[in-house]
Amino acid sequence: MKLLKSMVVVTVLLAGSAARHPSYDASVHAQQPPPQQQDEFVPIDQLPPQDQLPAAPMLVGAYSFVAIALFAYLVSLARRLTAVQHELERLEGDVKRGGA
Amino acid sequence: MPKSFIPAALVCGLMFAMAPILIANAPYESTMGLVQKIFYVHLPSAWMFLLGAIIGGIASVRYLFRGDPRQDRLAWAAAELVVLFGAITLVTGPLWARKAWGVWWQWDVRLTASLMGWMVAVAYMLLRKFGGPGSDKLAAGLALFGMANVPFVYISVNYWRTIHPTTNVVPTLPTSFGVPLWFSAATFLLLFMLLLRMRIRLEEQRARVDALYLSMDA
Repeated sequence: MKLLKSMVVVTVLLAGSAARHPSYDASVHAQQPPPQQQDEFVPIDQLPPQDQLPAAPMLVGAYSFVAIALFAYLVSLARRLTAVQHELERLEGDVKRGGA
Repeated sequence: MPKSFIPAALVCGLMFAMAPILIANAPYESTMGLVQKIFYVHLPSAWMFLLGAIIGGIASVRYLFRGDPRQDRLAWAAAELVVLFGAITLVTGPLWARKAWGVWWQWDVRLTASLMGWMVAVAYMLLRKFGGPGSDKLAAGLALFGMANVPFVYISVNYWRTIHPTTNVVPTLPTSFGVPLWFSAATFLLLFMLLLRMRIRLEEQRARVDALYLSMDA
Protein backbone atom coordinates (compact mmCIF):
# COMPACT_ATOMS: atom_id res chain seq x y z
CA MET A 1 0.00 0.00 0.00
CA LYS A 2 2.86 2.32 0.92
CA LEU A 3 4.58 1.43 -2.33
CA LEU A 4 1.41 2.14 -4.31
CA LYS A 5 1.06 5.55 -2.63
CA SER A 6 4.63 6.50 -3.37
CA MET A 7 4.21 5.38 -7.00
CA VAL A 8 1.12 7.56 -7.36
CA VAL A 9 2.98 10.54 -5.88
CA VAL A 10 5.95 10.04 -8.26
CA THR A 11 3.61 9.69 -11.25
CA VAL A 12 1.75 12.88 -10.35
CA LEU A 13 5.01 14.78 -9.88
CA LEU A 14 6.42 13.53 -13.21
CA ALA A 15 3.18 14.36 -15.05
CA GLY A 16 3.19 17.81 -13.51
CA SER A 17 6.79 18.53 -14.49
CA ALA A 18 6.19 17.23 -18.02
CA ALA A 19 3.14 19.42 -18.37
CA ARG A 20 5.06 22.43 -17.07
CA HIS A 21 8.05 22.03 -19.45
CA PRO A 22 6.59 23.26 -22.76
CA SER A 23 5.22 26.45 -21.21
CA TYR A 24 8.53 27.01 -19.39
CA ASP A 25 10.49 26.55 -22.66
CA ALA A 26 8.08 28.78 -24.49
CA SER A 27 8.49 31.56 -21.93
CA VAL A 28 12.29 31.28 -22.07
CA HIS A 29 12.25 31.38 -25.88
CA ALA A 30 9.84 34.29 -25.81
CA GLN A 31 12.31 36.27 -23.70
CA GLN A 32 15.27 35.60 -26.06
CA PRO A 33 15.73 38.05 -28.94
CA PRO A 34 15.36 36.43 -32.38
CA PRO A 35 18.66 35.78 -34.24
CA GLN A 36 19.69 38.67 -36.41
CA GLN A 37 19.22 38.20 -40.11
CA GLN A 38 22.52 37.96 -42.00
CA ASP A 39 22.70 40.44 -44.85
CA GLU A 40 26.27 39.83 -46.01
CA PHE A 41 29.04 37.23 -45.92
CA VAL A 42 31.38 37.45 -42.96
CA PRO A 43 35.11 36.83 -43.54
CA ILE A 44 36.32 33.86 -41.50
CA ASP A 45 38.93 35.92 -39.64
CA GLN A 46 36.14 38.14 -38.29
CA LEU A 47 34.35 35.22 -36.66
CA PRO A 48 34.70 34.74 -32.89
CA PRO A 49 37.62 32.42 -32.05
CA GLN A 50 35.34 29.53 -31.00
CA ASP A 51 33.73 29.50 -34.48
CA GLN A 52 37.01 29.50 -36.43
CA LEU A 53 38.63 26.22 -37.48
CA PRO A 54 42.38 26.73 -37.97
CA ALA A 55 44.09 24.65 -40.64
CA ALA A 56 47.57 24.56 -39.12
CA PRO A 57 46.82 21.98 -36.37
CA MET A 58 45.25 19.68 -38.99
CA LEU A 59 48.27 20.01 -41.26
CA VAL A 60 50.76 19.52 -38.43
CA GLY A 61 48.74 16.57 -37.13
CA ALA A 62 48.66 14.89 -40.54
CA TYR A 63 52.39 15.30 -41.23
CA SER A 64 53.30 14.28 -37.68
CA PHE A 65 51.20 11.14 -37.95
CA VAL A 66 52.85 10.21 -41.26
CA ALA A 67 56.35 10.72 -39.82
CA ILE A 68 55.60 8.83 -36.59
CA ALA A 69 53.83 5.93 -38.34
CA LEU A 70 56.62 5.44 -40.88
CA PHE A 71 59.35 5.76 -38.29
CA ALA A 72 57.62 3.38 -35.85
CA TYR A 73 57.13 0.80 -38.60
CA LEU A 74 60.75 1.10 -39.71
CA VAL A 75 61.99 0.63 -36.13
CA SER A 76 59.64 -2.34 -35.60
CA LEU A 77 60.80 -3.96 -38.83
CA ALA A 78 64.48 -3.40 -38.03
CA ARG A 79 64.04 -4.89 -34.53
CA ARG A 80 62.25 -7.96 -35.87
CA LEU A 81 64.93 -8.45 -38.53
CA THR A 82 67.72 -8.16 -35.96
CA ALA A 83 66.03 -10.65 -33.61
CA VAL A 84 65.53 -13.21 -36.39
CA GLN A 85 69.09 -12.69 -37.61
CA HIS A 86 70.45 -13.39 -34.09
CA GLU A 87 68.27 -16.49 -33.76
CA LEU A 88 69.45 -17.71 -37.14
CA GLU A 89 73.11 -17.23 -36.22
CA ARG A 90 72.60 -19.04 -32.91
CA LEU A 91 70.87 -21.98 -34.61
CA GLU A 92 73.50 -22.22 -37.33
CA GLY A 93 76.15 -22.28 -34.59
CA ASP A 94 74.28 -25.06 -32.78
CA VAL A 95 73.96 -27.09 -35.97
CA LYS A 96 77.69 -26.71 -36.72
CA ARG A 97 78.64 -27.74 -33.18
CA GLY A 98 76.24 -30.69 -33.37
CA GLY A 99 77.76 -31.79 -36.70
CA ALA A 100 81.35 -31.46 -35.49
CA MET B 1 69.72 -7.74 -49.13
CA PRO B 2 70.57 -6.71 -52.71
CA LYS B 3 73.56 -4.38 -53.21
CA SER B 4 71.27 -1.62 -54.46
CA PHE B 5 69.36 -1.51 -51.15
CA ILE B 6 71.66 0.92 -49.28
CA PRO B 7 71.98 3.46 -52.16
CA ALA B 8 68.21 3.28 -52.71
CA ALA B 9 67.61 3.87 -48.99
CA LEU B 10 69.93 6.92 -49.10
CA VAL B 11 68.11 8.31 -52.15
CA CYS B 12 64.79 7.72 -50.40
CA GLY B 13 66.01 9.58 -47.29
CA LEU B 14 67.14 12.53 -49.43
CA MET B 15 63.81 12.58 -51.25
CA PHE B 16 61.96 12.59 -47.91
CA ALA B 17 64.10 15.55 -46.83
CA MET B 18 63.39 17.43 -50.08
CA ALA B 19 59.65 16.74 -50.32
CA PRO B 20 58.60 19.16 -47.53
CA ILE B 21 60.52 21.98 -49.27
CA LEU B 22 58.68 21.38 -52.54
CA ILE B 23 55.36 21.09 -50.71
CA ALA B 24 55.98 24.29 -48.74
CA ASN B 25 56.80 26.17 -51.97
CA ALA B 26 53.67 24.93 -53.76
CA PRO B 27 50.94 27.58 -54.05
CA TYR B 28 47.93 27.66 -51.74
CA GLU B 29 44.76 26.26 -53.27
CA SER B 30 42.07 28.96 -53.61
CA THR B 31 39.26 27.43 -51.55
CA MET B 32 41.06 25.11 -49.11
CA GLY B 33 44.20 27.14 -48.42
CA LEU B 34 46.81 25.63 -46.10
CA VAL B 35 44.95 22.41 -45.33
CA GLN B 36 45.12 21.35 -49.01
CA LYS B 37 48.81 20.53 -48.44
CA ILE B 38 47.72 17.34 -46.64
CA PHE B 39 46.87 16.12 -50.16
CA TYR B 40 50.62 15.65 -50.92
CA VAL B 41 50.90 12.85 -48.36
CA HIS B 42 47.31 11.61 -48.38
CA LEU B 43 47.13 10.77 -52.08
CA PRO B 44 50.55 9.02 -52.41
CA SER B 45 49.83 6.95 -49.29
CA ALA B 46 46.41 6.02 -50.74
CA TRP B 47 48.13 4.91 -53.96
CA MET B 48 50.58 2.75 -51.99
CA PHE B 49 47.64 1.33 -50.02
CA LEU B 50 45.94 0.26 -53.26
CA LEU B 51 49.22 -0.93 -54.83
CA GLY B 52 49.88 -3.12 -51.79
CA ALA B 53 46.41 -4.64 -52.06
CA ILE B 54 46.99 -5.43 -55.77
CA ILE B 55 50.43 -6.97 -55.13
CA GLY B 56 49.04 -8.99 -52.21
CA GLY B 57 46.11 -10.22 -54.30
CA ILE B 58 48.21 -11.27 -57.30
CA ALA B 59 50.78 -13.00 -55.08
CA SER B 60 47.97 -14.80 -53.25
CA VAL B 61 46.44 -16.06 -56.50
CA ARG B 62 49.84 -17.40 -57.56
CA TYR B 63 50.34 -18.98 -54.14
CA LEU B 64 46.92 -20.64 -54.23
CA PHE B 65 47.44 -22.10 -57.71
CA ARG B 66 51.19 -22.85 -57.66
CA GLY B 67 51.93 -23.24 -53.96
CA ASP B 68 55.14 -21.20 -54.25
CA PRO B 69 56.14 -20.08 -50.72
CA ARG B 70 57.91 -16.98 -52.13
CA GLN B 71 54.54 -15.70 -53.33
CA ASP B 72 53.10 -16.31 -49.87
CA ARG B 73 55.90 -14.28 -48.31
CA LEU B 74 55.33 -11.49 -50.83
CA ALA B 75 51.58 -11.45 -50.06
CA TRP B 76 52.22 -11.31 -46.31
CA ALA B 77 54.71 -8.45 -46.71
CA ALA B 78 52.31 -6.54 -48.97
CA ALA B 79 49.42 -6.99 -46.51
CA GLU B 80 51.45 -5.43 -43.73
CA LEU B 81 52.19 -2.43 -45.94
CA VAL B 82 48.50 -2.16 -46.82
CA VAL B 83 47.79 -1.83 -43.10
CA LEU B 84 50.52 0.82 -42.71
CA PHE B 85 49.67 2.99 -45.73
CA GLY B 86 45.95 2.41 -45.24
CA ALA B 87 46.22 3.75 -41.70
CA ILE B 88 48.05 6.84 -43.00
CA THR B 89 45.36 7.37 -45.65
CA LEU B 90 42.50 6.91 -43.20
CA VAL B 91 44.01 9.32 -40.66
CA THR B 92 45.22 12.09 -42.98
CA GLY B 93 41.95 12.06 -44.98
CA PRO B 94 39.68 13.01 -42.06
CA LEU B 95 42.17 15.68 -40.91
CA TRP B 96 41.75 17.29 -44.33
CA ALA B 97 38.01 16.63 -44.47
CA ARG B 98 37.29 18.30 -41.13
CA LYS B 99 38.46 21.59 -42.59
CA ALA B 100 37.38 21.10 -46.22
CA TRP B 101 33.99 19.43 -45.68
CA GLY B 102 33.23 20.38 -42.08
CA VAL B 103 33.02 16.73 -40.97
CA TRP B 104 35.64 14.18 -39.96
CA TRP B 105 33.99 11.30 -41.77
CA GLN B 106 31.29 10.70 -44.34
CA TRP B 107 29.86 7.24 -45.05
CA ASP B 108 30.18 7.65 -48.80
CA VAL B 109 31.28 4.91 -51.17
CA ARG B 110 34.97 5.73 -51.45
CA LEU B 111 35.59 6.24 -47.76
CA THR B 112 33.60 3.17 -46.77
CA ALA B 113 35.25 0.99 -49.43
CA SER B 114 38.70 2.22 -48.34
CA LEU B 115 37.91 1.38 -44.72
CA MET B 116 36.73 -2.07 -45.81
CA GLY B 117 39.94 -2.64 -47.78
CA TRP B 118 42.00 -1.69 -44.75
CA MET B 119 39.95 -3.97 -42.51
CA VAL B 120 40.48 -6.87 -44.93
CA ALA B 121 44.25 -6.33 -44.61
CA VAL B 122 43.99 -6.21 -40.81
CA ALA B 123 41.94 -9.43 -40.92
CA TYR B 124 44.65 -10.98 -43.12
CA MET B 125 47.33 -10.09 -40.57
CA LEU B 126 45.28 -11.41 -37.64
CA LEU B 127 44.58 -14.63 -39.51
CA ARG B 128 48.28 -15.14 -40.25
CA LYS B 129 49.23 -14.45 -36.65
CA PHE B 130 46.55 -16.42 -34.80
CA GLY B 131 45.01 -18.72 -37.47
CA GLY B 132 47.30 -21.69 -36.90
CA PRO B 133 48.03 -24.35 -39.55
CA GLY B 134 46.29 -23.75 -42.86
CA SER B 135 45.80 -20.05 -42.24
CA ASP B 136 48.08 -19.25 -45.19
CA LYS B 137 45.51 -20.55 -47.70
CA LEU B 138 42.59 -18.89 -45.89
CA ALA B 139 44.49 -15.61 -45.75
CA ALA B 140 45.30 -15.88 -49.47
CA GLY B 141 41.58 -16.14 -50.17
CA LEU B 142 41.00 -13.05 -48.04
CA ALA B 143 43.67 -11.13 -49.97
CA LEU B 144 41.66 -11.74 -53.16
CA PHE B 145 38.76 -9.79 -51.63
CA GLY B 146 41.21 -7.03 -50.76
CA MET B 147 42.36 -6.85 -54.38
CA ALA B 148 38.80 -7.01 -55.76
CA ASN B 149 37.97 -3.96 -53.64
CA VAL B 150 40.66 -1.80 -55.32
CA PRO B 151 38.87 -0.90 -58.60
CA PHE B 152 35.74 -0.29 -56.55
CA VAL B 153 37.62 2.26 -54.40
CA TYR B 154 39.16 3.92 -57.46
CA ILE B 155 36.10 4.36 -59.68
CA SER B 156 33.51 4.85 -56.93
CA VAL B 157 33.90 8.65 -56.96
CA ASN B 158 33.03 8.78 -60.67
CA TYR B 159 29.94 6.57 -60.51
CA TRP B 160 28.26 7.46 -57.23
CA ARG B 161 27.32 10.79 -55.75
CA THR B 162 30.03 11.56 -53.21
CA ILE B 163 31.71 14.60 -51.72
CA HIS B 164 35.18 13.12 -52.26
CA PRO B 165 37.13 14.70 -55.19
CA THR B 166 36.91 12.66 -58.40
CA THR B 167 39.77 10.98 -60.31
CA ASN B 168 39.82 13.98 -62.71
CA VAL B 169 41.64 16.14 -60.15
CA VAL B 170 45.13 14.68 -60.67
CA PRO B 171 45.25 14.74 -64.52
CA THR B 172 44.14 18.37 -64.56
CA LEU B 173 46.54 19.63 -61.87
CA PRO B 174 48.62 22.70 -62.84
CA THR B 175 52.39 22.11 -62.83
CA SER B 176 52.85 24.08 -59.61
CA PHE B 177 50.66 21.54 -57.78
CA GLY B 178 51.68 18.54 -59.91
CA VAL B 179 55.46 18.68 -59.33
CA PRO B 180 55.29 18.30 -55.51
CA LEU B 181 52.58 15.65 -55.84
CA TRP B 182 54.54 13.47 -58.29
CA PHE B 183 57.76 13.96 -56.33
CA SER B 184 56.00 12.91 -53.16
CA ALA B 185 54.44 9.94 -54.99
CA ALA B 186 57.87 8.83 -56.27
CA THR B 187 59.26 9.11 -52.72
CA PHE B 188 56.44 7.03 -51.29
CA LEU B 189 56.84 4.45 -54.08
CA LEU B 190 60.57 4.09 -53.38
CA LEU B 191 59.88 3.77 -49.65
CA PHE B 192 57.17 1.20 -50.36
CA MET B 193 59.58 -0.90 -52.43
CA LEU B 194 62.31 -0.71 -49.77
CA LEU B 195 59.93 -1.64 -46.96
CA LEU B 196 58.51 -4.46 -49.05
CA ARG B 197 62.01 -5.81 -49.66
CA MET B 198 62.87 -5.60 -45.94
CA ARG B 199 59.61 -7.30 -44.97
CA ILE B 200 60.17 -10.12 -47.48
CA ARG B 201 63.68 -10.52 -46.10
CA LEU B 202 62.19 -10.95 -42.62
CA GLU B 203 59.94 -13.77 -43.85
CA GLU B 204 62.87 -15.40 -45.69
CA GLN B 205 64.92 -15.40 -42.50
CA ARG B 206 61.99 -16.79 -40.51
CA ALA B 207 61.61 -19.58 -43.08
CA ARG B 208 65.32 -20.41 -42.66
CA VAL B 209 64.91 -20.49 -38.87
CA ASP B 210 61.91 -22.85 -39.20
CA ALA B 211 63.88 -25.08 -41.58
CA LEU B 212 66.80 -25.24 -39.13
CA TYR B 213 64.48 -26.18 -36.23
CA LEU B 214 62.96 -28.92 -38.37
CA SER B 215 66.39 -30.25 -39.37
CA MET B 216 67.45 -30.33 -35.68
CA ASP B 217 64.31 -32.28 -34.74
CA ALA B 218 64.84 -34.82 -37.52
